[in-house]
Amino acid sequence: MSGTELPAAVGLASPEWGGFDPARTRGRGAADIRRSFGVAARLGWQMEANWTDPVLFFIYSVAKPVSSALILVLMLEVIGAGSRLDYRAFVVIGSALWSFVISGISGLAWSVLDDRERYRMLKYVYVSPSDFLVVLLGRGLARVAVGGMGAVITLGIGVVLLGVPFDPFVVNWPLLVIVMAAGIASIVAIGILLAAICLQTRQEAWSYPEAVAGALFLISGAVFPLAVLPAPIQAIGLMTPLTWWIEGVRDALFPGGLTAVGGPGSLFTSLGSQGRPDALQILVALLATGAVATLAAIAVFRTSDRRAKDRGLLDQTTGS
Amino acid sequence: MSSPYVFRPTRSPQEAANWSPRQILATDLRSVRGRAYPRVTGMFREKSWVFFEILLPFLATSAFVFVYRALQAPPEYIGFVVLGGAMTSFWLNVIWMMAQQLWWEKSQGNLELYFAAPMNIMSVLFGMAVGGFVMSSTRAAAVLVIATTLFGVTFAVDQWFLLIAVFLLTLAALYGLGMVLASLFLMWGREAWHLTQLLIEPVYFVSGMSFPVGRLGVVGSLAISILPLAVGLDAMRQLAFADSAYPLGTPGPQIEALILVAMTVVFLLVARWALRVLENRARSEGRLSVRWQ
Repeated sequence: MSGTELPAAVGLASPEWGGFDPARTRGRGAADIRRSFGVAARLGWQMEANWTDPVLFFIYSVAKPVSSALILVLMLEVIGAGSRLDYRAFVVIGSALWSFVISGISGLAWSVLDDRERYRMLKYVYVSPSDFLVVLLGRGLARVAVGGMGAVITLGIGVVLLGVPFDPFVVNWPLLVIVMAAGIASIVAIGILLAAICLQTRQEAWSYPEAVAGALFLISGAVFPLAVLPAPIQAIGLMTPLTWWIEGVRDALFPGGLTAVGGPGSLFTSLGSQGRPDALQILVALLATGAVATLAAIAVFRTSDRRAKDRGLLDQTTGS
Repeated sequence: MSSPYVFRPTRSPQEAANWSPRQILATDLRSVRGRAYPRVTGMFREKSWVFFEILLPFLATSAFVFVYRALQAPPEYIGFVVLGGAMTSFWLNVIWMMAQQLWWEKSQGNLELYFAAPMNIMSVLFGMAVGGFVMSSTRAAAVLVIATTLFGVTFAVDQWFLLIAVFLLTLAALYGLGMVLASLFLMWGREAWHLTQLLIEPVYFVSGMSFPVGRLGVVGSLAISILPLAVGLDAMRQLAFADSAYPLGTPGPQIEALILVAMTVVFLLVARWALRVLENRARSEGRLSVRWQ
C-alpha cells in the first residue's frame, strides 16, 4: 500500500462502537428538521443577498413598501384628507404590514419556481432526506426577514417624515408580540398554499403570489375600513387571518385609533353590540382563522405534493 | 476528401447566411411568429392565468377604488384608478416578460441559440412583445370592462382618434423601453431579478397609477419625460375624462403624444444599439452560455 493516507470519512464512517446506526435511515427527528431548516434558511439568505453590496440591497428591500405607502398617502393628499393623521396612520400601518404579506407569500412560492425552473435543483432537494416542507419554510424565511425590514422602515418613515403620531409608552407590547407571531404564522400558511399551487403551474406563475396578495389586500382592511365593502365580501374578510392580524397590530400600536373591522355600517357591528373588537376578540379570531388557514394549507400542500410526484411535475421546466 | 463547407469569416450569422433582403425579411417575420407562438399557445394550454392574471388583479385594482370610496372622492378619481389598473397589466408584462426575458433565456440555455441563428435579435424581442401583448391586453380589457360596469365609471371622450393614437404610442414606447431593459438586465445578470421588484411599486408611484401624476410636482414632470407609462396614462386620463376638472401641472394630450413618439424612436434606437453592443461583447467574452450569473 502506498504511503498516501485516505481522509477519514468523518460523517459517513461507522459509529465508534462499530455497529450500524439505525438513525441514519430512520432520521433523527427534531435534530434533522432543525438542521434542514437552518441550512435552507442560510441558503435562502445567501441567494437573496450575496449578489450585491448591503446599501444596494437595502434600497431594493425598502423601495417597494415605502412606495406603496407613499401611493396611499398621496391619494389622501389628492382628496384633501391628508390632514387627518389618524387615517394617515391607518394607511401607513396597513401598507407597511403588507410588505410582510407579499414577502412571506412570494418567498415560499418563488422557492419552488426558483429551484424547479431556474436552478433545476428541485428534484434533487426533493429526494434528499430532508422534509421538503421544512426546506421550503427555511428558504422562505429570508424573504420574510426582508419583508420585516421593509415594514419596520416604512413605519419609521411614516413616523419621522409623514407625521404619523407614535408614542411607545401607549403601545400594548404584549398584544403586539402575540399578534405578530400569530400573524406571521398565518402568512407562512398562505405562502405554503401558494407554493402548493406553484408546484402545479408553469413558469409564468412568478406573478401569482403578488396577484393573490393584491386580492387579499381588498378584503383584509389593510388600507380602508371593511365597512365600505358589500356585506358578503366583509364576511369573507372576517374569515381571513390577515384582517385580524392587521387589526391587532393597529390596536396594539394605536389603542383606540381607527378600526378596519368595526365602525358604522360594518358587518361586525351589525352582528354584535360593539362598535369595534376588543383585544381578546381580535386574538381569538386571529388564532381561530390562522389555525384553519394553516390546516388547509398543509392539506393542500400534501395533495399537491402527491400529484406533482405522480405526474412528474417536480422536474418539469416550462417557458413561453 | 474535400469538405463541402467553405470557411468564410463573417461578422454575424446573418452575414454568413448570405441571403437576399426578401429572405432576411421572411426569416425575421418567421422569428416574430415563432417567438410569439409559445406565449399565445401557452395561454390556452394552462388556463390558470385567467384566474391569477385577470380576476385577482381586478380585485387589487378594486382595493384602490374602495380607498377613494372610503374617502368620498369625486367619481372621476375612481375612473383614474380603473384606467391606471388596466395599464398596469402592460407595465407588468414589459417588466416580467420582456425586460427579464433575455436573462431568463440565458439561464435556460436558449440565448446562445438565438445569437447563433441567422435572424435579427430584435425580431425575437418583437415576437415576445406581440405574444405578451395578447395576454396583457386581455387582462387590461377585462379590468376596464368589469370595473367600469361594477363601479359605474363614465368616460367622456371628445377625441377618439387621439385617444387611440396615444394608447398605441404608449404601447410602442413601453415595449421599446422593454427592449432596452432586456439588454440592460442581461448585462446586470442576477441583479435583474431585484431590479424587477424595484420597477413595480416605485414606478406605480412616480407614474401616478392611482392619482394624477401632476400632483407629484417636479417628480411627476421628471416621470413624464422618462417613463412612457406616466406620460401615456396622463394623456389618456385627460382624453378619457374630458368633462372633469383635471388637475393642472402636466402638458396637454397633443404634446404628450409627441413625447411618446420621441420616446418610441429613442427607445427603439437605443435597444438596437444596446443589443448589438451586448452581442459583440458577449461573443468576444464568451459569456452567452454562462448561466445563473
